[in-house]
Amino acid sequence: MAIAERNPSLVGRLFAEHRAALQAFFLRRIRTKADAADLAQEVYVRMLRISDQAAIRNPVHYLYTVANNLVKEHAVLDRRQASGVDIDEAPAHAELETLPAFDGDLDTTQRVTRLGVVLKQLRPKCRAAVELRFTHELSYRAIATHLGVSPQMAKKYVAQGLGHCRRRMAALG
Amino acid sequence: MMSNDEKIRAAIAEQAGEWFVANEEGPLDAQDAAALAQWLKTSPVHIEEFLAVSTIARDLKQARADSEYSLEAILARARAAEDTSVQRLWPRVIEAVSGGTSGRWLPAAVAMAACAVLSLGLLFTWNVRQPIEHPPAPDGITALHLETRHGEQLTRRLADNSVLHLNTDSAVTIRYGKTERLVMLTSGQADFEVAHEPHRAFRVIAGSAEVVDLGTNFDVRLEHDSTVVTVVEGRVAVGPSSSSQNHSPRFVELSADQEIRVTAGEGPATPVAVDAQRTTAWLHRQIAFNHEPLERVAAEYNRYTSKPIEITTPALRNLQISGVFSTDDPAAFIAFLRSLKGVRVEVTETRIRVW
Repeated sequence: MAIAERNPSLVGRLFAEHRAALQAFFLRRIRTKADAADLAQEVYVRMLRISDQAAIRNPVHYLYTVANNLVKEHAVLDRRQASGVDIDEAPAHAELETLPAFDGDLDTTQRVTRLGVVLKQLRPKCRAAVELRFTHELSYRAIATHLGVSPQMAKKYVAQGLGHCRRRMAALG
Repeated sequence: MMSNDEKIRAAIAEQAGEWFVANEEGPLDAQDAAALAQWLKTSPVHIEEFLAVSTIARDLKQARADSEYSLEAILARARAAEDTSVQRLWPRVIEAVSGGTSGRWLPAAVAMAACAVLSLGLLFTWNVRQPIEHPPAPDGITALHLETRHGEQLTRRLADNSVLHLNTDSAVTIRYGKTERLVMLTSGQADFEVAHEPHRAFRVIAGSAEVVDLGTNFDVRLEHDSTVVTVVEGRVAVGPSSSSQNHSPRFVELSADQEIRVTAGEGPATPVAVDAQRTTAWLHRQIAFNHEPLERVAAEYNRYTSKPIEITTPALRNLQISGVFSTDDPAAFIAFLRSLKGVRVEVTETRIRVW
């Protein structure tokens, strides 16, 4: 893939040398077992390709694209070698829409119900900030005004709230 | 109480939340994009947490239709909570280390400090031992002794609001007086974020070196026969410590992203340019390398682990490697070693053999 070739740093070179073996390894693994940790492990191996930071203008888009590719490969049990990553097509949020969730086989309604439970465990302003941000897509400035805090604090609440929800959802299994 | 592993996961999840929030606001600038790419490359756990946080944010958008999430309902809940004594749930500052007035270290204060540190998104120690507070000396100066065990780190806000981060296997004694603040680093490595006081100097004595703060953040590491000082922000003056000084001391001024080595009997060397973020990667429980020999990487990794790396093929000692790894995630580091050409890794009960 072009990324490694454009940026021939050590990690990139090593990855290029081992690409076939690594891909065979993760395709083998992903066919038999595809839980979130495995997916993350495989994405990680692909992320090691980002040898020069400047090569990735949009790491999040790259991440979602890589993860989606892996999921698709798994879904169709594609025996061909993993295809390259073209990060110039759809925007990141489009990729996010097709990413699987990380909570087993729950459907969206069940996940939203569980999120309702874990949101109640957040500290009140933290909970309100998360809810305002994602269910109403308010700007951080607007959230800050509603809650009587600085926009920086509003961001901090949302970041903490997301992290907390994630760990609580993981604990629910 | 959360297990160590769960604390680490929780802190990574919060960092994932911070990155998600930062990224959501529009394109990251080149520096932040690079930092995020680097963060994601740290370990598979970082990637898992980021993906999971992303899908939670996405799923929450589905909840909008539910009346429980109407704007009015959300704001009413937030207001109701404000009226109750919610303040107590919010540890606002790290409990200050006593300079002689406030006194005792209570377990609750330690717990609160731990919460506050985690909420700052920094990963610091668990298993914190109670600091030893010596009784005031005749001159009225209180000494505070702090130390960490193998693999442990700790962070303290000191009486003057300076912040001390102590790395693995390290010990300091802190003595604050009227005219100066003196810190003796007797082993290991420490990072100082100094609250500048024009009339009370902040001095660190570490082996062969003495560091005088001129308003800054700096890192001091004791090595076998020398001391390495790295400036993250601001300026410091570095010279030989009085114990090793024979003539009039020669002090060298250092600014951000400069490092100096002071060897016993030789005094300070010439400062060199470094990436101070790399030197202080330990603050985030990371180790970072850029084209460094495997032998040095292994020595650094071994500072934190109970299962050390042993290189049994001499030729591999000089293999140059690059990367950023979490000191809490040996599996990712081992996976990386295994991906290197010509390197074999064997993990036993007591060690990681590289050959």
